[in-house]
Amino acid sequence: MSASAVFVLDLKGKVLICRNYKGDVDMAEIDHFMPLLMQHEEEGLICPVISHGNVHFLWIKHSNLYLVAMTNKNSNASLVYSFLYKLVEVFTEYFKELEEESIQDNFVVVYELLDELMDFGFPQTTDSKILQEYITQEGAKLEVAKSKVPTTVTNAVSWRSEGIKYKKNEVFIDVIESINVLVNANGSVMSSDIVGSIKLKTMLSGMPELRLGLNDRVLFALTGRDKGKTVVMEDVKFHQCVRLSRFESDRTISFIPPDGESELMSYRINTHVKPLIWIESVIEKFSHSRVEIMVKAKGQFKKQSVANNVEVRVPVPSDADSPKFKTSTGHAKYVPEKNLVVWTIKSFPGGKEFLMRAHFGLPSVENDELEGKPPITVKFEIPYFTVSGIQVRYMKIIEKSGYQALPWVRYITQSGDYQLRTNV
Amino acid sequence: MPYLGSEDMVKELRRALSNPNVQSDQLRYRNTILKVIRAMSQGVDVSGLFSEIVKACATVDIVQKKLVYVFLCSYAALNPELSLLVINTLRKDCQDPNPMVRSLALRNMTNLRLSSLVEYVEQPLTAGLRDRAACVRRVAVLGWAKLHNLQPNSEIDATVVNELYSLLRDPDPVVMVNCLRALEEILKEEGGVAINKPIAHHLLNRLKECDVWGQCEVLRILERYRPQSDDELFDILSLLDTSLVSQHPPVMAATLSLFLSLCSALPAVSLSALERVRAPLLAACGSTSRELRFTALCHIQLLLRSVPGLMGAHYKRFFCGYAEPAYIKQRKMQVLVELVNDENVAMLLDELKGYCTDVNTDTAQAAISAIGRIGRSYSDQCLQILTGLLGLKQEHITSAVVQTMRDLVWVCPQCSDTVCLALEGCEENLQDTQGRQALLWLLGVYGERISSAPYVLEVFIDGVRSETSLEVKMELLTATLRLFLCRPAETQDMLGRLLHYCIEEETDMCVRDQALLYYHLLHCGIEETRKVLQGRRSDPSLGVLIGRPVEPISQWAHSFNTLEPLRQGTVTTDSSNKGSPEHVTSDPKPNSDLSDDLKPCQIETVQTASDSASLCTEYSTDALSSSAVAPLSLSLSPALSPEEFERLWLQRQSLHAEQGGEEKEDGDYLCTEECVQCPTIPHCSPQNLQAALQLVNIQTLAFTPPHTLPWRVYLYTHTHSSCSASKPPSTLILGELLYTGEPKEDCSKMVMEGSHEQLTTEGEEAAVDRLRGRESARQQSQTEDVKVTLKQQPRDDKALKGFLSVLTTVLHTLSTETT
Repeated sequence: MSASAVFVLDLKGKVLICRNYKGDVDMAEIDHFMPLLMQHEEEGLICPVISHGNVHFLWIKHSNLYLVAMTNKNSNASLVYSFLYKLVEVFTEYFKELEEESIQDNFVVVYELLDELMDFGFPQTTDSKILQEYITQEGAKLEVAKSKVPTTVTNAVSWRSEGIKYKKNEVFIDVIESINVLVNANGSVMSSDIVGSIKLKTMLSGMPELRLGLNDRVLFALTGRDKGKTVVMEDVKFHQCVRLSRFESDRTISFIPPDGESELMSYRINTHVKPLIWIESVIEKFSHSRVEIMVKAKGQFKKQSVANNVEVRVPVPSDADSPKFKTSTGHAKYVPEKNLVVWTIKSFPGGKEFLMRAHFGLPSVENDELEGKPPITVKFEIPYFTVSGIQVRYMKIIEKSGYQALPWVRYITQSGDYQLRTNV
Repeated sequence: MPYLGSEDMVKELRRALSNPNVQSDQLRYRNTILKVIRAMSQGVDVSGLFSEIVKACATVDIVQKKLVYVFLCSYAALNPELSLLVINTLRKDCQDPNPMVRSLALRNMTNLRLSSLVEYVEQPLTAGLRDRAACVRRVAVLGWAKLHNLQPNSEIDATVVNELYSLLRDPDPVVMVNCLRALEEILKEEGGVAINKPIAHHLLNRLKECDVWGQCEVLRILERYRPQSDDELFDILSLLDTSLVSQHPPVMAATLSLFLSLCSALPAVSLSALERVRAPLLAACGSTSRELRFTALCHIQLLLRSVPGLMGAHYKRFFCGYAEPAYIKQRKMQVLVELVNDENVAMLLDELKGYCTDVNTDTAQAAISAIGRIGRSYSDQCLQILTGLLGLKQEHITSAVVQTMRDLVWVCPQCSDTVCLALEGCEENLQDTQGRQALLWLLGVYGERISSAPYVLEVFIDGVRSETSLEVKMELLTATLRLFLCRPAETQDMLGRLLHYCIEEETDMCVRDQALLYYHLLHCGIEETRKVLQGRRSDPSLGVLIGRPVEPISQWAHSFNTLEPLRQGTVTTDSSNKGSPEHVTSDPKPNSDLSDDLKPCQIETVQTASDSASLCTEYSTDALSSSAVAPLSLSLSPALSPEEFERLWLQRQSLHAEQGGEEKEDGDYLCTEECVQCPTIPHCSPQNLQAALQLVNIQTLAFTPPHTLPWRVYLYTHTHSSCSASKPPSTLILGELLYTGEPKEDCSKMVMEGSHEQLTTEGEEAAVDRLRGRESARQQSQTEDVKVTLKQQPRDDKALKGFLSVLTTVLHTLSTETT
C-alpha cells in the first residue's frame, strides 16, 4: 500500500491540506501534478496515474477537489484508490458535502482525521462510525472536549458501542434495486443488470442479534424447500458486521447491526431484465432548418405499480433554438446548458404509453464542431416493487433484555445507468 | 486577517500568542493557535512562531494539543534545537492516564522526524509496545518503523525485533498487521519479515479478523511463504478460497496474487484460480469508481495475456458507456480486440463503429485502430467499415483510417485492392502529419493501382515550399520516387521539380541528404533504384492468423496488483506515432504488438528468443555447409500471403486426391511427407519457433497455440539453387508441421511423391521401395514424431532435400533447447 503523502487540492492545483506520512518524498513534488495533469488532458491521454520522475501521483476528483496520493513505490494501485475513496466517504459523513469550502471550514477536523486514518502510509482506523465517536466537530468548540477512549477502538464489536438506548426499538429495512440498461439504436438490449442493496436504519437498544431471511434460491435449494419465487444473487457484498462464515455454511445472514444508518449488503443480478420503461424515439434532423423529435415511453411493468418522478432526457444539438413541445402527459422543458429536453412525468402507471413531440429550429449556418451521439437517459423510481423479486421473508431481533422490536420493510426500484442510444 | 500582509500577520499572531491575557483564557488561546494553523495551511510561512507555539503545547485541551502537534510536525525540521523543548511535554503525555493522549503524544513524537531526538523517543516507544490500550500499541509498533526509517543505517535492535515478532500474537488485529508492516520496514535489508510455518498459519487463521487493508497486507506478505508439502499447500488454498472471490477488489486481487505465487509450479491450479476470479473481476469492471474500474481493466489485460478466452463470453461487459472517460474507453477497446471471435465479431464491430464518431478524437482514433487490428483476421467486414468512415469526411477520422489502412495492408496485403479503391479522393480531408505520411506511403507502394496517384502527389509537390513537417517531406520524396519507378511517364517531371527543390532550396539536412541520395541513385540506373526502393510491400510474419501466442502466467504474475499494469499501454496506441511500417519491422522484435512495451520481463523473452534463434543459425549454417547438398539458398521473397498459401495448398491437395494414391508425379510438382523426431517442439513458444525459422529464411504463416492438439504450423520458403543449369532457378516450398500427440501408425509413414534420387541412375520405383523398407524399420520406435508435409513447385529434389535438412536441424535444435 504505502502512500507517502496525501494531498487535497483545489481545481487550480493549490494545496488545501496535505499530510506527509513517510517523509521519503519531497512535498514540493506536488507542484508538478497540476501542470502534468493539464498537459495530459490536452493530449487526451488523461489517466488516473501520473508520474513525474520516480514519483507517482494517484488521484481522484471529487466535486471541486482533487485528492492525490503520492508514492515512490510500485504500490498496490487498487488499494490506494480504495483509500482515497474511503477518505471521500469519511469526509462526506462528517461534512455532508465534501468540497473546497467544507475543507476550509473544517480544516482542524480534516487534520485530525488524516492523522487517524493513516499512519506512516498505512491505513489505520477507517470506519467513520468509530471515528465519529472520538473526533467530533463539536470538539472544536471548547465545551468539554471529548477525550474518553471510545470502547470501539479496542472492542470486539468494532462497529457498535455498548450502552445504546432507544425508547422505541425499531429497524427500517430498505431494499433498493437499480437497473442498468444499455439499448442500442436499433432497439436491442445490449446489456442489462440489477444492482441491489439492502440498507438499514437501526434504532435498537443494547447489543441486538439480528437475522435476516431472504428468498435466496441457494438457501432454498439447501433446505430443500422450493416454493414461491426465489432469486439468485451474484457478487454479494456484506457490511463487515455480517458473519461471513455462517453465510457461507448455511446462507444465514446474522449480525449485530451498527447503530443508525448503514448498508447491510449489496448484490448484483445479471439476468436479462426487460427495460421497465421502454423508449422509442424518432429524431429527424433537417440540416439548416429544424429537428423533430418524437419520443414514446411505455411502462413495461405491472399495472398495479406506478413509476414516480420519471424523467426522460433527450439530447438535442447544441445549436438548436426555439423549442416547441407537445406532450400527452407531464411536461417537457428545454435545458440549453446541457443540450437536453427533459420530459418529466410525475406518475407513470404500468402498462401505459405516453408521447412527446418536440420541434427545434436549427441555424442556417451550420455548427461545424463535431458532436457526439449522446444516448437518451431515463430516471424513475418505482416504490413497493423489486425487479428481481427479492423479498425479505423475516427479520428476527434478539436482545438479552428481551424487548420487542419492529422491523419495517420498504422496496424501491430505481433507474441506474439507463441508456438508450439514438440514431442521430 | 486577509488585509494584512503575511509578515504583519505573523507579527500580529506572535503578539497575541505571547499576551498573558490570551494565554490565561483557554478559548482565546486556542482560537489564536487555530489562526496560526489556518495561515499555515494557506501557505503562509509561520515558522517564526515556533517558540511561541512550543509553549502552547503544555495544555490539558486535547484539541489544542493536536493543533500544536500539526504545527510542530510541519516545522520541526527547521528548528531542531527548539523542538527539544517539546520532548519533555510529549514524554509527560506518554504517562497520561488517558490512552488517547498517550497515543497522540507517541505518534507525534515519532512524526517529528528528528534524528537528534531518537534517544528520547526510544524509551516511551518501548513502554508503548506493552501498553494495555491497543491504540497506543498500534502507534508504538509503527513508531519503531519510523525510527528505523529516520536512521536507516543504525543497527537493528534485536530485542525490539523480537518484541515485534511476539506482538504478531496481539489480540488486536491492527497491532498485528502494523507489526508486519514495521518488521518489513526494519528488516528491509534482510528481505523483510521472515515467515515460518507457525507465523504463516497464525496469520492465515486471523485473516478474517482484519479489515480490508490488513487483509491485503497479510496476503501480500504471505507470498513469501513456501508451504512444505502439497497437503499444506492445498489446505492453505482452500482456506483462501473465499477471499479469492471476495467482493472487495483489493482483497480479491491480493489473494489471486498469493495464489499465483503459491502455485507457480502448478499451472493448472493457477489457471483455475484465474477462472474463479472472473466474476469478481467483471464486477470490479462495473464498479462505480472509475479509477477502480480502470485498475480492474488493466489487470484483466494482464490475465488475457495468459488466458485469451477468459472473458470471451462476457464481451458485452466491455462495451463503453457514453459518459465514461477516454482512458477507460481505450482500455475497454483494447480488451474487446482481444475477445473477438467468429460469433461476436459482427456485434463487436458494430459497437466499435459507434465509437469511431466519438467526440473525443483520441477515443475515435483508438476505435478506428481497434477495427484495424480486428481487420487482420476479419478483413472484409473491417474494410467495409473503414471505407464507410472515409465518407464522413472528418479530418481526424480520415487520418486515423488512412493510418489504420496502411498498417493493415502491411500485414494483410490481400486488402490492398480495397484500400486502393478507398483512397481515391481522401487527400482533401487530411491535414495532420501522420495521416498525410500514411497516405504518401500507400501512394508510393501501391501507386500503380491508384489511378489518381500522380495528381495527388503533384498537389503535395506544389505545396512543398509551405510544408513544415520534415517527415512528410521525406515520405514525399520516397513516394514520388517509387511512383516514378512504376509510372515514369506521368511522374518524371514532378520528380525532377521535387528533387530540384529539395537539393537546391531545402534547408533541412535530412531532407536534402535524402534527395541527394535518390538523385545519385537514379544516376546508377533504374534497376539499381528499383532494388533499393521496391522492397517488401508487406510483412506477413506479423499477421499470425491465430493471434498472439499465450504467455505463461509467470511473465506477469510479479507485476500483478501493483502500479505497473496501469502505466503500461498508455503510451503505445499502436500506430499513432510511427512512420511507414518498414521502419518498424526492421527491428528484430518477434512481434510488434500493441502491448509490446517497456516492461523489463518482456524484453527478457525477446532476448531469449533471439538467443535461441542465434543458436539455431549457427547450427543450421553448419548443417548447410556440411551437408552434401549443393549450395542452396532460401529466401522469403516474394512474400506469400496467407490466402495465397491456402489456395496453393488446397489446390495441390485436390490434385493429389484426383490422381489417387498411385501415381503422384507431376512434371513440376512434388509432395512429400517426413517425420522428424522432436517431441518438445509443439510445446515451445511460437515466437521462438518463428524467430528461429526466420533466421534461416523460412517464413511461418500460422500457428495453433502451444499445448493444443493437434498442433500445426504452416510455413513456406523459396529456394534458389545456383549449381545446376538443368534445374529451375527457384522453387516454392510449402510446408505443414503436424503433431497429433498420440502414437499413430501412419504417422511415421513416409510417402514419396516423386523421388529423392532422381539425379542418380536408379529407377524411381526402386527408390520408393527402398525408402519404404527403411521406414517400416523405424515404425516401432517413433511415436512422438512431428509429421512434416512438404509441397514443392516446381520440383527440385535436391533443393527439397536441402530444405528438409535445414528444417530438421532447426527443429532438433529448438527441441534440445526446450528440454
